[in-house]
Amino acid sequence: MSEEKQVKVHVDKVNKSYGDNHVLRDISLDVNQNEVVVMIGPSGSGKSTFLRMLNQLEKPDSGVIQVDKYDISDPKTDINKVRENIGMVFQNFNLFNNYTVLENITLAPVQLGKMSKEEAKKKAHELLEMVGLPDKADVSVNSLSGGQKQRIAIARALAMNPDVMLFDEPTSALDPEVVGDVLDVMKNLAQSGMTMIIVTHEMGFAKQVADRVVFFESGKIQESGSPEQIFNAPKNARLQSFLSKVMEA
Amino acid sequence: MVKKKLMTLLTAVTALFLMAVGGASASADKPNYVISTDATYAPFDFQNKNNQYVGIDLDILKEIAKREGFTYTLKPMDFSSAAQMVANGQADGIIAGMAITDERKNGPVYDVSDPYYQTGVAWITKKGSKIKSLDDLRGKTVALKTGTAAANYGQSLQAKYGFKIKTFKDTDTMYSDVENGNSAATFEDMPVIQYAIKNGRQLEIKNPNNLGNAGGCGFFVQKGKNAALLAAFNKGLKEIKADGTYQKIVDKYLNSKQEDFVGSRADNNSVWGILKTNKQAFWDGMVETLYLTVLAIVLASLWGLLLGVMGISQKLWIRGLSTTIIYIFRGLPLMVLAFFIYIGLPGAIGTKIPATTAGLLTLILNEGAYTGAFVRGGFEAVDAGQMEAARSLGLSRGQSLRKVVIPQGLKIMVPSFVNQFIITLKDTSILSAIGLLELTQTGTLIVARNSQGFRVWAIIAVIYLIIITLLTWLSNWLKKRLR
Repeated sequence: MSEEKQVKVHVDKVNKSYGDNHVLRDISLDVNQNEVVVMIGPSGSGKSTFLRMLNQLEKPDSGVIQVDKYDISDPKTDINKVRENIGMVFQNFNLFNNYTVLENITLAPVQLGKMSKEEAKKKAHELLEMVGLPDKADVSVNSLSGGQKQRIAIARALAMNPDVMLFDEPTSALDPEVVGDVLDVMKNLAQSGMTMIIVTHEMGFAKQVADRVVFFESGKIQESGSPEQIFNAPKNARLQSFLSKVMEA
Repeated sequence: MVKKKLMTLLTAVTALFLMAVGGASASADKPNYVISTDATYAPFDFQNKNNQYVGIDLDILKEIAKREGFTYTLKPMDFSSAAQMVANGQADGIIAGMAITDERKNGPVYDVSDPYYQTGVAWITKKGSKIKSLDDLRGKTVALKTGTAAANYGQSLQAKYGFKIKTFKDTDTMYSDVENGNSAATFEDMPVIQYAIKNGRQLEIKNPNNLGNAGGCGFFVQKGKNAALLAAFNKGLKEIKADGTYQKIVDKYLNSKQEDFVGSRADNNSVWGILKTNKQAFWDGMVETLYLTVLAIVLASLWGLLLGVMGISQKLWIRGLSTTIIYIFRGLPLMVLAFFIYIGLPGAIGTKIPATTAGLLTLILNEGAYTGAFVRGGFEAVDAGQMEAARSLGLSRGQSLRKVVIPQGLKIMVPSFVNQFIITLKDTSILSAIGLLELTQTGTLIVARNSQGFRVWAIIAVIYLIIITLLTWLSNWLKKRLR
């Protein structure tokens, strides 16, 4: 950790409202290269909205968001180009139902001219190997279980060779017995040095993998710090209350 | 991108179609007129067993045209539409056993020729009816055909005898209504009812020796236009009356046997006989119906897809445009739209619109609006997460629509498309109202000459069912291919 840290994602004073509902209030956050940031907090605290803003699935009302030096809050920025470098994994997988597993993974790289069909296929097979599903290349996505779907979704996002990966509650829609498979893939990814921002309710995973944990509540970052600091010595009263509720479960 | 491509495709197809339909033009140095007529008014105007339009009117017209050196394009349809065609300039003249009433003669719409036929109005009940005199009609229903001299005559008696009036667009349906006992009586021109009774209609003329006076029949043109045509008609009429040609024509229709026009009895009183005698007409009607259906399905689907894609646009005004178009053309009854385009629009824009073009346009606008509505619904039924996932990979909105949302949406829509295809086929029958010679109009014409309504309509119904069965098979095959 002696070399100088490079800021990958820079967020400054971002606000967002839906009607009267002020869901994000003056949020500022920097994420460094190779860093794994886990965001926790009660439902409706704004953490998912914040995550979706980082690749402009939601637009901020005010504030600055920079990813890889691109200012994505500037309307002149080509958002499609920026998104090519940001992978996203959704709670409900959102695999393309009209394609096979392999086609799901190769669609974007081929369509966007990143790779030839052959290169994309080769890459897809490598990724399937990596997520532990090498024999699923040619099956229809509807025949997969939830855990398998989510691992394919991770492979699909990785096929674009992104610099940053966003995970929006990746295990919330899964049966408990397959959560581990998905978390294992994410752990390996973290160890390989991927910059990751993760919204999750898996506290064990956060403790194990996060470089930094951020606690959201009422549209604000109430506290952030190392996992030890957040889980063992929480200062913020709301964080203490939140942890006491989730830890006894 | 998708929108652009669809638009280009649609433009290309429309251009091709307009060339195909609108390309015909007259070439001769003789003047060529468009003359409308009633398709089902035997013995004045009807189709004979060889599918030629003949009758007292049409033979007179043919003879006069030959002598006076003009040609004409005949447009047979129902009487009201035929009269409308002249009123708004779509046709140059009408000959359809049309009575010279004071209203028509002195009104703002028509100029009329010398009378070419002196008609008398009979009143008619079904055979064996208990009704003996006009007084017995009090409180009963009388069937009248809209716009005819006989109808005017009937209306003039309404106050005195206190009957109710029900109007019809064609003579044969009107007769059937009387035969069935739905209406107690009808009024009709003597030659017309005589022809029908010779043809086996179970009707009875009540006043054979005491016909009502409804004046003469005339040839009508649009007021102030076509003076040359009118003069030529009057001159020719005088000539054929003077040399006996006129009387020959009238005698031919009033005195000859029915078989000369409709074929032998054996040809008409069995399904097989009717099929054999009219096989060419049935075949042509079926081909026309298929042609309309296939073109309408293809073009309406393209138009509907465009409306559907517009309906999910990010731009409010494009969405609004799509919604408005769907609202208007889904809301209009098909027949109103057909009349508006065929009879109304030419008057306003000053160009004639061929019936096929008008019919297709009607189907495309109407079926396209329904298609547009379910296409938009199909796209909206695709989970929003699919679009988000595609966009988050860096695909543009257009790429995401084309590669992810539209293919899934189309799959959802397949049953709706199949349903719409079948509706389109059935809706082509409504276009018989503007004189398109498709299956339904073919049926109307055959019944008009042989009065065999039950058998002819049964045959027509079976043909529709056969086509629908074929269409369903084709759709199911397509559905499987898409899986």
